[in-house]
Amino acid sequence: MVPIGPSGYASCSMASRRVTQRSQEARSPRRRLGVVLVDPLPVVRAGLAMLIEDRPDMAVLAEVGTAEEALEFLERTRRTRMVVVVGLGLDGEHDALWLIRAVRERFPTLSVLACGAKAEPAAISQALFVGADGYVDKNLEPARFVESLREAAAGEMVLAGPPADWVGQIADGVKQQQDVESRLTVREREVLKVAAEGLTARQIAERLGVRERTVTTHLGRIYGKLGVGGRVAAIRVASMSGLVTVGALE
Amino acid sequence: MTSPGPPGSPARVLIIEDHAVIRGVIRLACEEAAGLEVVADVGDGESGLEACRSLRPDLLVLDLSLPGAVQGLDVARQVRAEGLPIRILVLTGRADDRVLFESIRAGVDGFLEKTAAVTDISDALRRLAAGERVFTEAQERAAIAELGRIVRGARKASPGERDLTPRETEILAYLSLGLPVKQVATRLGLSPRTVETHIANIYKKLDVANRVQAVSRAASLGLIDIG
Repeated sequence: MVPIGPSGYASCSMASRRVTQRSQEARSPRRRLGVVLVDPLPVVRAGLAMLIEDRPDMAVLAEVGTAEEALEFLERTRRTRMVVVVGLGLDGEHDALWLIRAVRERFPTLSVLACGAKAEPAAISQALFVGADGYVDKNLEPARFVESLREAAAGEMVLAGPPADWVGQIADGVKQQQDVESRLTVREREVLKVAAEGLTARQIAERLGVRERTVTTHLGRIYGKLGVGGRVAAIRVASMSGLVTVGALE
Repeated sequence: MTSPGPPGSPARVLIIEDHAVIRGVIRLACEEAAGLEVVADVGDGESGLEACRSLRPDLLVLDLSLPGAVQGLDVARQVRAEGLPIRILVLTGRADDRVLFESIRAGVDGFLEKTAAVTDISDALRRLAAGERVFTEAQERAAIAELGRIVRGARKASPGERDLTPRETEILAYLSLGLPVKQVATRLGLSPRTVETHIANIYKKLDVANRVQAVSRAASLGLIDIG
């Protein structure tokens, strides 16, 4: 029931304006920027979703709590213009960095943003190196957060939240990562990552499903390549370059 | 970051600029502004560094392109390395993304192009003295864009593409056990055609021509565990 005003035209109440807006959006859902939210915390997802849904030019396509669900969704959807926001708190075997890498490899046309809470430069370097198109901080002003999504979708590198003078450190971190990564093989990096947890060679062997002798061989090669004398030094080099994070990312 | 002087005393400025006329203009701009006092102006990096150490200015106006071995950014980096509490304003003719990025990385506090109005210089210096950073949004965006270029360059240079995917590693492990393609396919629940494709990719990545070479190369690279 639309009330008629004195001019004879329908008077635009808030409610009917909303309906008009929605039907306009409904006419062009494909033109809206699709956002996929990945974060282990339901409250964070809900908050970001509300923020995004509020914008007429964006839409939350999915909000999930694990890397597997995220990839599952991405395989199913036909959309190509999307921003995937990955919370750095995602951990476990398929953590945030794993997911960022996987999305970069399998869906190279999508934009990926790492999202953290006051992350350190090393963590940001890691995320960027494995394929994120930028970093946004959860403490950002909502308007800025949303603007960052648009910038990422437009192909720009995004660094929203950290102090501007961190760019140097972050770039240095990325270059160090590349240097260390180019020296070690995939397997050696795996061994080093597990070793950084403080496990013995036997425990590492169990975790990776190989023989203890293999692990010690790998470690020997790693020390040689990194130019260090032992495990502590190797882990120090690795954590300085962001190859391993000693402690959680956030 | 301003050096201790009685409150209300003018901020002391050092100018490092090799072009005499521009140096004069900057000096004038500072002298005409309240709250700023020029302690010295020099035309090269080495004298500039010396002046930083001996005169302990609060603010430094720094031209990036200087004659001799000590360039503008070298001065900035050295000042930071020595922990001198000097706020640095870069003044430069060239303002491309790389220069901006390197300046921010060197630790400068503000950036102005030489096309800036004379009053912009004294305004910028006053803001620096108050502890602000003097960068426009466009400049910070440019620095981030440069970061993007560096990141993309590092990713491309990374040998990640040479590494085998988990699936490829699995298949290679089965091959190393001597299993024929059909059996590998059955065990992994894939079609033989898919397995062949994976094997072709494996050979390409490892730069080998046959199964024996693939297994041997992979073992020596530590990609699979044999025996």
